[in-house]
Amino acid sequence: MDKLIAVIKREYLERVRTKWFIISTVFGPVFLLAISVLPGLLTARNIRDTQLGAIEILDASGIGLGDRLAAALRTRTPNPITLTPGRRDSALTAGAPPVNATVRVTTPSELAQAESVTTHAVIASTIRGYIVLDSASVTTGKARFAGRNTGLGEVGQIESALRSAIIMHRLALAGIVDARADSLTRVRVDVTAERLSEKGRGDSGLAGLIFGFLIAFLLYMMIILYGQNILRGVLEEKTTRVAEVVISSVSPETLLAGKVIGVGAVGLTQQLAWLTFGGLLSLYGLGAAATMGMNVTMPHVTAFQVVCLILFFLLGYTFYASLFAAVGAMCSSQEEATQAAQPVMMLLVASIILVQPIMATPTGTMANVMSMLPFSAPIIMPLVMASTDVPAWHIAVALAGLVLACVGAIWVSARIYRVGLLMTGKRPSLRELVRWVRYA
Amino acid sequence: MSDLALDIRAVSKRYAEHVAVDTLSLAVPRGSVYGLLGPNGAGKTTTIRMVLNIIGPDEGSVTILGQPNTARSTTDRVGYLPEERGLYKKMQVRRILRFLAALKGVAQREADRRIDAWTERFQLRTAEKDWTAAKVDELSRGMQQKVQFIGTLLHDPDLVILDEPFSGLDPINAQALKDAMVELRQRGKTIIFSTHLMDNAERLCDSVCIIARGRKVLDGTVAGVKAEHGVQNIALGVGGGRDRVAERLRANPDVARIDDQNRFFEITLRKGADPQALLRDVIASGTEVQRFELVQPSLHQIFLEKVGATGVEPGMTGHG
Repeated sequence: MDKLIAVIKREYLERVRTKWFIISTVFGPVFLLAISVLPGLLTARNIRDTQLGAIEILDASGIGLGDRLAAALRTRTPNPITLTPGRRDSALTAGAPPVNATVRVTTPSELAQAESVTTHAVIASTIRGYIVLDSASVTTGKARFAGRNTGLGEVGQIESALRSAIIMHRLALAGIVDARADSLTRVRVDVTAERLSEKGRGDSGLAGLIFGFLIAFLLYMMIILYGQNILRGVLEEKTTRVAEVVISSVSPETLLAGKVIGVGAVGLTQQLAWLTFGGLLSLYGLGAAATMGMNVTMPHVTAFQVVCLILFFLLGYTFYASLFAAVGAMCSSQEEATQAAQPVMMLLVASIILVQPIMATPTGTMANVMSMLPFSAPIIMPLVMASTDVPAWHIAVALAGLVLACVGAIWVSARIYRVGLLMTGKRPSLRELVRWVRYA
Repeated sequence: MSDLALDIRAVSKRYAEHVAVDTLSLAVPRGSVYGLLGPNGAGKTTTIRMVLNIIGPDEGSVTILGQPNTARSTTDRVGYLPEERGLYKKMQVRRILRFLAALKGVAQREADRRIDAWTERFQLRTAEKDWTAAKVDELSRGMQQKVQFIGTLLHDPDLVILDEPFSGLDPINAQALKDAMVELRQRGKTIIFSTHLMDNAERLCDSVCIIARGRKVLDGTVAGVKAEHGVQNIALGVGGGRDRVAERLRANPDVARIDDQNRFFEITLRKGADPQALLRDVIASGTEVQRFELVQPSLHQIFLEKVGATGVEPGMTGHG
C-alpha cells in the first residue's frame, strides 16, 4: 500500500509540477470560453454590421404593397436566425433594428429602367440594396432582393416583413382597418421545451441536453488527454529503462494501478479547477442575467444522477487508461505508439461522433444500445441520462458491463504490461500479444 | 536463519525459441562477494530477474535471506542495479532518489539523510554545485550512473545485486564503485554481480559461478575453482634463441600446450608432469633462463577452457 502511494504521489506531483499542466489549467477555461462563446459573439456582431441600411423598394405591384413593406421593415422585426435556442430576448437574439426603406412606385414597363438606376446606386454604395415587387407579388408572395449583401439574415428579415405586408393588404381587402390589423397580426411566439420525468418535475429540456453534452464532451476530453498522458508515461519508463528498477521494487500491477490513479487524480484536479472557474463564471452570468430580467432555468440534477455520473466517469477513465497503458507497454517509440493507439482511439471517436444523433433522439435504439455498450457507455449514458429518463435497468446493465469491461481491461493490460515493460525491439503481433496475456 | 543470502534451486525459464535458464542451482553465502560469470546470452540477466521476481521461473524456487522471493517484504531487502540503466529524465535527482527509497519503504526524512551522505561521497554534492537539485537530464552519463547506484543502496539492503555494474563506467567511477562494493562487503552485506569481464571478478569475488547457455558450468570459491579446474601453467622467459627453445619445448612430451606471449612462453604441462623436470631440460639446452614461474591459472583461462567457443549459442543475442 505504501508503495502504491509512492507511485501515485510521483505520478501526480511530477505532472502537476509541469509548466504544461499549469498553463493548461489556467488557460483551459479561457480557451473553452473562447471556442464556445466567440463564434456566437462574432455572428451577432456580423448581423449588426450587415443589418439592412437604406434600401429602396421598386414597387410595380400597382396596389401600394411597397408602402406596406416599407412600414413593416420600419418596425422591429424578429430576427429569423436564432443563435442560441431556448434563450429568448437576449442580446444575441433580439430582433433586428428597423430598416430605413424608401419606396419608388413604378409601372411594370418602367421597371427595367428603374432597376438599372438602383443597381448603379447599389454599386455606388448610396443604398445597400433594393427590393422588386411586381403585380404577382401579392398573390405569390414572391419578390426579388438585390444588394451588396444577400445573407440569410437579411433575406429572412425581408421575407418576414413581406409576409406581414401581404397579410396587412389582405386584411385591408377584407375590410379591416390598419390599426386593428396591426394589433391582430402582432403575435409573439415562443416555445419553451419542458422535460417531464416520472416524478412530475419539469425542467428545461434544452438545459439538460446542453448539460449532458457538456459532460460527454468533458469526459471525452479527459479520457483522450489523460489516456494519452498515461501512454506517454509508460513509454517513457520503457525507453529510459527506468521500468526495470521500479518493478524490482513494486509489482507491475501496482505500478499500473498507481499510474492510472495518479494520472486520474491529475485530471480530476484540473477538472475541479475548471469547474470551479466555470461555476463562478456561470454564477456571475446568472446574476447578470437576473438583473436583466432574464429567466434562465438551470438543469435539475438529482443526487442519483451525480453518483451515476461520477461512476461512469471513473469506470470509463479506468477502462481507457488501462488500455492506453497496455498500448504504451507494447511499443518502444512514440511513432509506434501513436499507431498502436489507433484502435483504442477509434472506440472513443466512435462514441463522440454519435453524440449528435443521439442528442436528437435520446430514446432511440442507437441511444439505447450505445449507452449500454461498455466502450461507449461512459460518454453516451450521462448524455442520455441528462436528456431523458433512462430506465434503471439500462443504467444497471451499463454499469455492470462497464465494471466487467474494466476488470477485463485491467487484467489483460496488467499482463501485457508485465511482459511488455522489459521488451524492446519489434512491436508484438496480435498472436504474440495473446501469448503474453496467456503466459504472463 | 539461513546462512545463505541467496538459494536458487533448480530454476528454469523457457521462451518460445530457446531455453534461457536450465535447471540452475546456486548458493550464495552471506557476507560474500559473488560473481555470476558468463558470456553474453548465457542467462545471467534472466537469472537475476527471476531472483528479483520480475519474471517468474517456469520451475524451481528462489530463497532470499531465508525467505521465498515471492514474499512481498523479501525484495525490500534487496538492492538491484539493472544492466540497462535509466532514470526519469525530467525528474529532480533528489526527488527520484526519494521515490526509489519510498518504493523500498524508507521514510522521507531518513531517505534525505542517506541521500545527503551518499551524494557527498560520490561528489554529486560539493561546495560549488548541488547536483541533487538538478534534473536528471542535466547530468553527465557518469553522474547518472552514480545516482542510479545510490538509488540501489538507499534502503541499506542486505543483498545487493548488480548486473554488469562496470559496463560503461570510466576508470575513476569504476574505482569508486569497486570501493563502495568492498565497503558494503565489510559491513556484512552480500553482493552479487554479473560480469563477462573476468579481471573484475578475479579481483573482487570470494566465490564465482560460471554459467553458459543457461546451465551452470562450475561454481565455488575462487581459490577452490582455481585449484580444482585450473591447470598449472609455467611462465618461461629466455635470454636468446627463442626459436630453438620453442622447438625443444614442443618436442617435450610433458608439454601440452605452449602459448607465445612475446616476452615469455606460457606453458601448460600435461597432468602429472613435473615442472622441475622441464626446468632442468631447458637449462640443459644451454639457454639462459631469465624467468621461470609457476603461475596461478586466471579465471579468464578457466573460463575460456570451460566455456570455450561453444559457450555462446549461435544466433543468441541480447541480455546475458
